[in-house]
Amino acid sequence: MVIDLDKCTGCGACSVACMSENNIGVLHNETDKIRSITWMRVYQIDNGKSFPDTEVAFIPRPCMHCQGGKSGTPGQAFFQEGPMDEEAHPPCVSVCPATATDYDEETGIVSQIPTRCIGCRYCVAACPYHARYFNWYDVPWPKGSPRALSPFVSPRMRGVVEKCTFCYQRYQAARNKAMVSGGEVGEMDYQTACTEACPSGAITFGQLQNPEHKVHKLISSDYTFRLLEQLHTNPKVYYMSKREWVRKMADNYVTRHNKFAQAATQSGH
Amino acid sequence: MQWDRRAFIKLAVGGVLGVHASPLMWKLMDDSTIWTQNWSWVPVPEDGAVAYANVVNPQTGTGAKARLVQGRVDGTRAIRVEGNPEHPLSKGGVVPQDASALQLLYNTDIRVTAPLLRNRANGRYSKLSWPEALDILAGNLAEVSKQGKPEAIMALGHDPESATGQLLLCLMAALGSPNLAFTPNAGETLALAGLAMMGQTDLGFDLANADYVISFGTPLLENFGAPVATRKAFASWRGFPKNKGFLGQVESRASITASQADMWLACRPGTEGALALAMCTIMIQEGLYDQAAVKASFGFKDEGDFKGFKSFLLKNYRREQVAQMAGVPLEKLVKLTLGFAKAKRAVAVCGPGNSSDPGRMYDFMAVLALNALKGNIGKPGGVLVQDALPLKSIGSTSLRGNVRPLVDPAQGLDSNNPDALAKAALAGKPYAVKTLLLVGGNFVYNGPQAGVMEELARKTPFVVAMTPYLDESASVADLVLPTTHWLEGWGDSTSPYGSPVSCYGLHRPLIKAVPQAKDAGEVLLQVASRLGGKIAAALPYKNMEEVLMARTQAMGDFEQLVEQSFWVQAKPAYGPVKFQTPTGRFEFFSMGLFKLLSGRAGNPQALERMVAMMGVSGGLEAAFLPHWETPAAADDLGTGMPLLLTAVPSLRTTWGGDAITPYMVKVLPDTMLADMDKLVVEMNPQTAHELHLYEGDLIRIDSVAGSLTAKLSLFAGAAPGVVYAPVGLGHSAFGFQVEGKGMNFNRAAKVTTDPMSGLPVWELTAVSVEKVQG
Repeated sequence: MVIDLDKCTGCGACSVACMSENNIGVLHNETDKIRSITWMRVYQIDNGKSFPDTEVAFIPRPCMHCQGGKSGTPGQAFFQEGPMDEEAHPPCVSVCPATATDYDEETGIVSQIPTRCIGCRYCVAACPYHARYFNWYDVPWPKGSPRALSPFVSPRMRGVVEKCTFCYQRYQAARNKAMVSGGEVGEMDYQTACTEACPSGAITFGQLQNPEHKVHKLISSDYTFRLLEQLHTNPKVYYMSKREWVRKMADNYVTRHNKFAQAATQSGH
Repeated sequence: MQWDRRAFIKLAVGGVLGVHASPLMWKLMDDSTIWTQNWSWVPVPEDGAVAYANVVNPQTGTGAKARLVQGRVDGTRAIRVEGNPEHPLSKGGVVPQDASALQLLYNTDIRVTAPLLRNRANGRYSKLSWPEALDILAGNLAEVSKQGKPEAIMALGHDPESATGQLLLCLMAALGSPNLAFTPNAGETLALAGLAMMGQTDLGFDLANADYVISFGTPLLENFGAPVATRKAFASWRGFPKNKGFLGQVESRASITASQADMWLACRPGTEGALALAMCTIMIQEGLYDQAAVKASFGFKDEGDFKGFKSFLLKNYRREQVAQMAGVPLEKLVKLTLGFAKAKRAVAVCGPGNSSDPGRMYDFMAVLALNALKGNIGKPGGVLVQDALPLKSIGSTSLRGNVRPLVDPAQGLDSNNPDALAKAALAGKPYAVKTLLLVGGNFVYNGPQAGVMEELARKTPFVVAMTPYLDESASVADLVLPTTHWLEGWGDSTSPYGSPVSCYGLHRPLIKAVPQAKDAGEVLLQVASRLGGKIAAALPYKNMEEVLMARTQAMGDFEQLVEQSFWVQAKPAYGPVKFQTPTGRFEFFSMGLFKLLSGRAGNPQALERMVAMMGVSGGLEAAFLPHWETPAAADDLGTGMPLLLTAVPSLRTTWGGDAITPYMVKVLPDTMLADMDKLVVEMNPQTAHELHLYEGDLIRIDSVAGSLTAKLSLFAGAAPGVVYAPVGLGHSAFGFQVEGKGMNFNRAAKVTTDPMSGLPVWELTAVSVEKVQG
């Protein structure tokens, strides 16, 4: 996924479309952002300058679907040189004692199976992007409102962790369709709800390593970066902005060479 | 066998081994995980066949698709509202209000499920049947009419261009009451400015094809026209490695538009129109205007007794003078202007203010003049005239008899001023109102001066609210009639503000949600039929489907139109514009306006008095030329109210139509809503320092209209001396997810009347600020 921050107007359509796609509930108090569940959260940043040089920008943040690096292949993943080379995997996957979250090599998606989750919240603590949310409460569905729920995503119960799945149910539907018609899942057959909804078309979704997909071309731009690259989580979500202060604020101090060396190991979406 | 130590150990070990070998323990563990998670209060949505149906959201103008699931038990239900990629303007995008529309639709706690009669003494509702409710309403209208005073019936509607709005116009005309107003919008101001200078009312901005856009104080990326279409245009200006279009924003706050703009001209609030005029001056002085277009226009040079636009500008709007007054650096102003003048396809945009008010007419005229100097009228990437929508009239909207309206029509060009109407009705001058019909629009919340609307509703003897929701208006009404949500009933919507092409949207019943709800238009038809006689004859339709069929005759096959759900003008009208002004040319000096007002006044002296009475500053010399009026709030600043209050618009909140949805509340940032229910307002750190206020302080903001209590957030991008408050929060209805979150901006905004357009404006309000705790 590539998100063009110069096109993002912070309207929140991605976030709301995600909620309606994935049956997310609304609690009594949604200003407590630690307990408020927003798989796609839109952060606002500003350049810290005073009037009239102030500028704001928005960073929509889904789950980064970190790939980590593959150990044992020096030169491919740049953090091999570091002391952490044996712990090369998504930060959340390695800490889950219940295998409720896993990394799928084929699709590149970090899965989350709420019914398998035991609610220990290790993954919440491990995720550097705050992309994982714990269901502290039962959702108080107002009378009649469950009629609007999608049958393709199970509403979660209290006591489990949930997060963005890149709308995996949409992938399943596209895969089934492709299986019936005998073809392959095409770029436009599988698009996430946020990508579809974005009114300015800031989000592009596809296979990063497939040269025919738009995202493949976009990530080779000099203006692309990822969040907290120095943590070597190797995220699948790329951002792009021509504004330098935006790139800097995303803690993007990794050299171009290293970024592409790591990205080259990625598979899937 | 003897029961000794060995036997005991044997049994214990054997038991443990046995239990482990049997599937019992594993089965129980497995079951327990299932039982503990199989909670009856976690809903299990029913599966079924999926279908899509086209629809246009009348609130946002977005072309959408409703995703429907046909369940065996639950029946057909909508599970999502998604974008419609085939809609030529919104091309598949949605905004939060579209994507979360189902939350208001399916919440039976907040829907009106049957006609309700409220007991004023104890506030309790009792359910009625439809025939009973219609009898009560028709009986009341007949009684008021019989007393010979049909003008004592007042109505407020939401959208005058919609079929429902047209029916309301027909009904009020047939009843004989002129006291009708609709939710005010910037489209009316643009139409008036267009009429004054071009003789055309349906203007639009060809944003998608422009390469240089300057927006004058309008929140282009927060709240402008059809928000999805505007964003599609904005996205087309952005590109790698070079942008394809330039955006300049003239505004007082580092808003989203200002931040995304290539240049932000940070001005004092309310001075945007003056800066447009200063840009005209610069273009004239530098000789960078379109000579041919100006030559073909009227009123640029002095003609006879009339002072022309050029000499008026050079005398009153010198660049240094305006730059200093607006607080902008002169070099930046000149740079922005030169870029505009030299660009291939440049357009200047005016629109609704940050508070969603209709804007000031002279500011709009200044922006049109700037476009005329650029010579972009009728050209790609410029100001366009939309083709008229091929809609047939559904009845006569001209009033019977000669009834004096509550508000003197000579007070401005447009009589659509719900605020002035409400204030006159409240004062009982020149006469009192007996019945108030609220047809959508939730006026008691939206106002524009919400406190006045509530007071009016509480003082009027009989109030009827036609609304899908138990909203603020329903809470003060005597009779509440349930109307349909746009996904469950018939209705339509017309071109959104500033659209370069005309478009029409239709919606039809896709699902059954509230069985008792009727289309608002159908309620009006049934009331008319009960009143009988001439009134029934004026609205001779059975239901809304028939009305829409009659209205859209010229749009081709009705079934096909319903299936498609939209009609959009095939291509923008490029080419010479037919100026339908008295001179047949573009008028920098509005001859049309001059003739109209001279006709009303009778003689030159009376005209001068009339212009002064309307509140136009600068006298006769300025009245018919684009000029800048000092905002009314600036005059109030000295009266113990040292700060200005204005709004922060956002697509995460709404104004005018449907309320904010729970998902929209959920995605509000903590710079808008904090600590569960506290409104957050922004202030410049320097201003706060001078007032001894700190981040997180709880403050009270007082205006003459009302007050807000809010948490203070210091934002460097806020102009000094201004308090910025989010608009669209603070509902006292709509369920626990929305109710009581924040406070209603329109409770504190002071609404005044624009001197020339006569429309209500509330962009700026003078306020004082006091610390409550912190």
